Amino acid sequence: MLYIKCPHCGMRSQNEFAYGGDATVKRPELNKEISDSEWNNFVYLRKSPRGKHLELWQHISGCRQWIKVERDTLTHEIFKTFKAEE
Amino acid sequence: MSQEFRLDKGGFINRDKKISFKFNGKQYFGYEGDTLASALIANGVHLVGRSFKYHRPRGFFGAGVDEPYAIVQLFRNNETDPNIKATEQELFEGLRAESVNCWPNVNFDIGAINNFFRMFIPAGFYYKTFMWPKSFWYKLYEPIIRKAAGFGKASIKHDQERYEHKYEYCDLLITGSGPSGLASAYAAAKNGAKVILAEDKPRFGGSLLTTDVNIGNQTGVEWTKKIISELKSMSNVIVKNRSQVFGYYDHNMLVMNERLSDHLPKTEKYTPKQRLWYIRAKEVIISSGSIERPLVFGNNDTPGVMLSSAAKEYIKVYGVIVGKKPLIFTNNDSGYETAIEFKKNGIDPLVLDTRNDPKSDIINEAKSLNIKIKISHVVVTAKGYKKVKSADIAKISDDKKHLSEIENVACDCICVSGFWTPSIHLASQSGNKSTFSEEIDAFIPDKSKQRETTVGSAKGIFTLEETLENAFESGFNLSKKITNNDNKISVPSVVEKKFTNHDKFWCVPLPKGKNYKRFLDFQNDVAVSDIELALREGYRSIEHVKRYTTLGMATDQGKTSNLNGLQLVSDVENKVVPQVGHTTFRPPYTPISIGAIVGREVGKHSKPTRKSPMHEWHKKNNAVFVDAGIWLRPRYYKKGNENLFEASKREAKNVRQNVGVCDVTTLGKIDIKGPDAAEFLNRVYTNAWLKLPIGKARYGVMLREDGIVMDDGTTTRISENHYHMTTTTAQAANVLSHLEYYLQLVWPELNVNVVSTTEQWAGAAIAGPNSRKLLQKLFTNKDVSNESLPFMGYTEGDFFGINAKIYRISFSGELAYEVNVESDYGNFMWEKIMEVGKEFNIQPYGTEALSTLRIEMGHVAGSELDGRTIPYDNSLEGLVSKKKDFIGKRSLDKAAFIRPDREKIVGVVPLDKKTSIPEGSYLVKDPKAKLPNPKLGHVSASCWSVEYDNPFSLAIIKDGKNMIGKKLYALSPLKNKSIHVEIVSSHYVDPEGKRVRS
Amino acid sequence: MQKYSVFSLIKNAFSSHKNWDLAWKDPKPKSEYDVVIIGGGGHGLATAYYLAKEHKITNVAIIEKGWIGGGNVGRNTTIIRSNYMHDENGLFSEFGMNLWRNMSQDLNYNVMFSPRGIINLAHSDAQMNVYSRRGNSMRLNGIDAVLLNREEVKKFIPMADFSENVRFPIFGGLMQPSAGTARHDAVAWGYARQADSMGVDIIQNCEVVGFDVSDGKIKGLRTSKGDIKAKKIGLCVAGSTNILAEKLNMTLPIETHLLQACVSEPIKPILDNVVTFGAGHFYVSQSDKGEMVMGGDLDGYNSYSQRGNLPTLQHVLTEGIAMFPFLSKLKMLRTWGGIMDMSMDGSPIIDKTHIEGLYLNCGWCYGGFKATPASGWTFAHTIAQDRVHELNAGYSLNRFSTGHLIDEKGLGTKTWIS
Repeated sequence: MLYIKCPHCGMRSQNEFAYGGDATVKRPELNKEISDSEWNNFVYLRKSPRGKHLELWQHISGCRQWIKVERDTLTHEIFKTFKAEE
Repeated sequence: MSQEFRLDKGGFINRDKKISFKFNGKQYFGYEGDTLASALIANGVHLVGRSFKYHRPRGFFGAGVDEPYAIVQLFRNNETDPNIKATEQELFEGLRAESVNCWPNVNFDIGAINNFFRMFIPAGFYYKTFMWPKSFWYKLYEPIIRKAAGFGKASIKHDQERYEHKYEYCDLLITGSGPSGLASAYAAAKNGAKVILAEDKPRFGGSLLTTDVNIGNQTGVEWTKKIISELKSMSNVIVKNRSQVFGYYDHNMLVMNERLSDHLPKTEKYTPKQRLWYIRAKEVIISSGSIERPLVFGNNDTPGVMLSSAAKEYIKVYGVIVGKKPLIFTNNDSGYETAIEFKKNGIDPLVLDTRNDPKSDIINEAKSLNIKIKISHVVVTAKGYKKVKSADIAKISDDKKHLSEIENVACDCICVSGFWTPSIHLASQSGNKSTFSEEIDAFIPDKSKQRETTVGSAKGIFTLEETLENAFESGFNLSKKITNNDNKISVPSVVEKKFTNHDKFWCVPLPKGKNYKRFLDFQNDVAVSDIELALREGYRSIEHVKRYTTLGMATDQGKTSNLNGLQLVSDVENKVVPQVGHTTFRPPYTPISIGAIVGREVGKHSKPTRKSPMHEWHKKNNAVFVDAGIWLRPRYYKKGNENLFEASKREAKNVRQNVGVCDVTTLGKIDIKGPDAAEFLNRVYTNAWLKLPIGKARYGVMLREDGIVMDDGTTTRISENHYHMTTTTAQAANVLSHLEYYLQLVWPELNVNVVSTTEQWAGAAIAGPNSRKLLQKLFTNKDVSNESLPFMGYTEGDFFGINAKIYRISFSGELAYEVNVESDYGNFMWEKIMEVGKEFNIQPYGTEALSTLRIEMGHVAGSELDGRTIPYDNSLEGLVSKKKDFIGKRSLDKAAFIRPDREKIVGVVPLDKKTSIPEGSYLVKDPKAKLPNPKLGHVSASCWSVEYDNPFSLAIIKDGKNMIGKKLYALSPLKNKSIHVEIVSSHYVDPEGKRVRS
Repeated sequence: MQKYSVFSLIKNAFSSHKNWDLAWKDPKPKSEYDVVIIGGGGHGLATAYYLAKEHKITNVAIIEKGWIGGGNVGRNTTIIRSNYMHDENGLFSEFGMNLWRNMSQDLNYNVMFSPRGIINLAHSDAQMNVYSRRGNSMRLNGIDAVLLNREEVKKFIPMADFSENVRFPIFGGLMQPSAGTARHDAVAWGYARQADSMGVDIIQNCEVVGFDVSDGKIKGLRTSKGDIKAKKIGLCVAGSTNILAEKLNMTLPIETHLLQACVSEPIKPILDNVVTFGAGHFYVSQSDKGEMVMGGDLDGYNSYSQRGNLPTLQHVLTEGIAMFPFLSKLKMLRTWGGIMDMSMDGSPIIDKTHIEGLYLNCGWCYGGFKATPASGWTFAHTIAQDRVHELNAGYSLNRFSTGHLIDEKGLGTKTWIS
């Protein structure tokens, strides 16, 4: 079971969190004219590297904050966790 | 009955406490402290079971967790457990066990006929045959194979035992209480670390229980006792026996299974049978020791052939001798220890040593005891069927390739020692890539990947002196890192016998003209010839070999067979072992009961049950409940002999004619507050939200970014910066996370806060033409007229002294209100509504009537918003703003979504006005068309329209817009129904929506 | 090639099984092939087999990084079914079912296809309706499906929890009687043996390092065993798709996740069918060895590790006991993990790409094993004819732009939720 440092609450076991996927996905701004492919890339394309992965987790059974976690997808080692705005 | 093989003294058993037990129906006696295995051996029983494939007789091979043979069906406290290792099962009064995988009995087993056909059924034979005729595989061959497979029988009774879980955090977890575990635990504990010491066996001490050594002027056993009692007295130490650390998971989370009751006749009250510990350790010391390797020779699976360390353990721990005419077959010094133990107890062993010139202290000691030793000798084959009777032995050439003349020697057991294999399982599970040690011909842990340190023989250190030194050091250093203390214990002095090198030889060649089976995997009957065949056929990777032959896939997981298998592959393939590589070790180290893994979440507790505050009222009033996610909701309230159909019809009708009340507590509720709340809602919902006045509710639809409808519900503006959102019961949690995602990550500039208030409010929907009259009586000093509280209006009122929120919203399509009070008042509110509503013929209605009401109104719900539909499909396109942007909007212009014949919701009425259309039916043009029959759409929801007294359904069909008035067929092949139907508007009742506004 | 049969088995017994041929050879790669299939898993091997058998293209190599059959074809729960609601999935899978039914004879290798029936349990009327929709769709597509009520379910699996002490009672279920299981390794080996015999080079322990693409055309690939020219290349590396796609500068609508499974110790036959739990995600069948083979949810975060964690298994087995209380007394013997290509609508991709001569077979989510023959057959067709077959037309890469999604579960792009 992963051991995740919530930047707000401290070390907590994985079962307090919900996964949120690739954290580098950036939603296009509202009302912005963008191409179909730009939009579809946002909706459907994810980074899924073997190795370092910046991903979202939500501390759902804790402070309910979405946080960013830098984790290795091969070893599951967590390098760093960040607050959403960091 | 006498225990013929029990020594008069010795062992750690309690000879004052005799225990009776039954094996295969026969009564035996043993002592407290015995295992089933030791007690059976004491009674001279060596035939325990039959092997998997050839049904060859099986006895005991080991004395613990590595046992491949002695698997029994256990009967305990009116229950039965399959696949129990006799070597692990402690004896208790009244224990009953039976052999498995044999019929009619273990002595005479029909299945043993396989043994005679074994030449025809080598590894993988089933891939090459049973293919003709085609249907015979699953009609004939497979059923026979299935029946033959498997060991014990599962009990189908519900498990009455209790299993618990515990979470623990510690500085150091130490897995195994042999010398290295004790030393490191002691050093770390004395240095102030929080330590957990886990021992799988009932007794602490590991190898110290069976070796003659001296530590600090005490025997190994005395030293163990001293250390354990001191550790137990320390508040920073948890010491657990019968506790197997079986899994090393991510981030130093280890899992240990503590067996509290398996050794007792029955589980005591308020005690679990087993307790699973999730342990998060800062550091882990793996001190799980090593397992002796077998030597491989002809018929080496005959009962009576066993590990020499096991024979020694039976003598030293249980005071039991495994035979009176022992043959010791060894390639290293360990065999001599066993020989000496026999000799000390008055039994003359014969030692065959594969080495040609072995010299060491222990050999000298053996010689001085007049133990007969034959060097450069091997066992060629064991003789005897159900028990070893003799052995063919021979001198072997120095190159280990040629046997000289064969000689037969009588013996009743053959104790083999092929040197030691470190138990690297936990280290390997932690991610540690092991490395092959040429010195010990085995894998040892390499660089740590997690916070793990292996010590003692698990690391390939086989001298006690070095083990203790290393373990004390590790315990101290690791604890110092955590506690910063500097309290170092000095390493005690050690007296032990020094061993010399082992022989790398492990597999005896076949004599000319003989084709003895030489087994590697004893449980799965995998012999040397099987591996050779696999390699010959091109199954060369170790994984191919394993899968093709089933090597190491038995319940012992290859603890005794894997390394020999690897050696063989490397020999045949002319590679070195590390090139062959080993298969991966994964948890669990030993099989763990599924009950223990699951814990207390069984039966009714397998998932939480959520109930509304009015639940007890519903129950008292004959509600029949339905699971809505994890909520329980009244489906209908049964009157007399009514069934679901009759009751729901009555309830729905009463709503249409009088007034009904429905518990809507389960709806998700989210409080949305902040100056940017309106802007936020405007982005979340498809429709416009910037101009919603205070005191007004609005229906909204929210999408996922891919344009699919996520949820719908009403949101009410309570005050300037405060909104109250409702969601469907099913999506409540998802919607909250969704909102938080956008607020925290996408639009952090919005000054809005959201919080779930689902549990804060109890809700009652009051619906029907009489609902206003009722409401007026519930809120006597409040003006609830259509002018003051119009459709989609909101107000607060005094409900018999408590504050209530009144929303004029409607799911039923009738004039309706939703009253919310704080949860604790929910039942009070409900009872009051029922009491006051009596004069208006109020009746409670459940989810079934609610469904009927919404379906005939054409209101969509979960069966239409199924994660695949866009607003248009549900005729919600009117709610999709063209002016503003919102979540998912950009996806709505995808080609498939704007197709002219895009699916749309419609109503469906059977032409005969009688036949209900099963939900999940499909609409087609031609009911008799050739398959696959093209589908126009599916029936998402059906009801009996109480308004028109005929069946009515909703369907989502292709080109729905233009299908109104067309006649189609609704097909449900599952229910053998083909119904001629007419497509109508989905708004079947009150299409102008007059009632809700009345 | 030697023919396998009971007669050849007996004949060989008398020569101590010393005269069996290699099931497949271990050739060195040639410098050029008409088609190179990357990935020696079930799908890759099947593709090569059907290229040779159906399209007579035999100058083919399979490039495998490790050993054949070492990916998900060797680490699944062996379930074979076509019980899908969407037409694309149903018709594709049913085509596969017909290949399964004849596979042992076709390959002359007993893959032990065992049509023991799959039962999806339902725990509410609403769920029965959802299953009806699926079952009716199957029936209209010519696939067998039966709706069972509670009593009928009980006849098949009397040891399921029909007691009062149950959180989610069994209402009934949807059964596909012709669904079943097969011996997974045998599928890989059987395809390999036949492909090899028709001239396909199976090249193991050969890692793809890069690709040679020029003018929008594939020219070849670079491997740890040297450069290989190829007119066409097919990617069949579910679980590693993203790694290879990166080498081609492609980003795909796929996330990589870890799925665990486990078996109990072997017990005497107790469960004949494959059964799935409806109030969660758990499936179980009993193997011919007697082990209960069980699986369920993903571990729930991107992973290329085959190391799973216990809480997921705990959660899965909790549902197992909720369905079959007798599982409580069994012991979990072995666990393993597989790496999944999780596509953004839960359905696979078998298609051409923007690079001429490069073909894609990926995104199999949970359903890769059972799709092995149909995937190989349609992929071989797509490669050989340079156009998709109608069976895999729906599995296009551009469906994510056009909106023609095939979302059986209706869960959208959160691939880790099941």
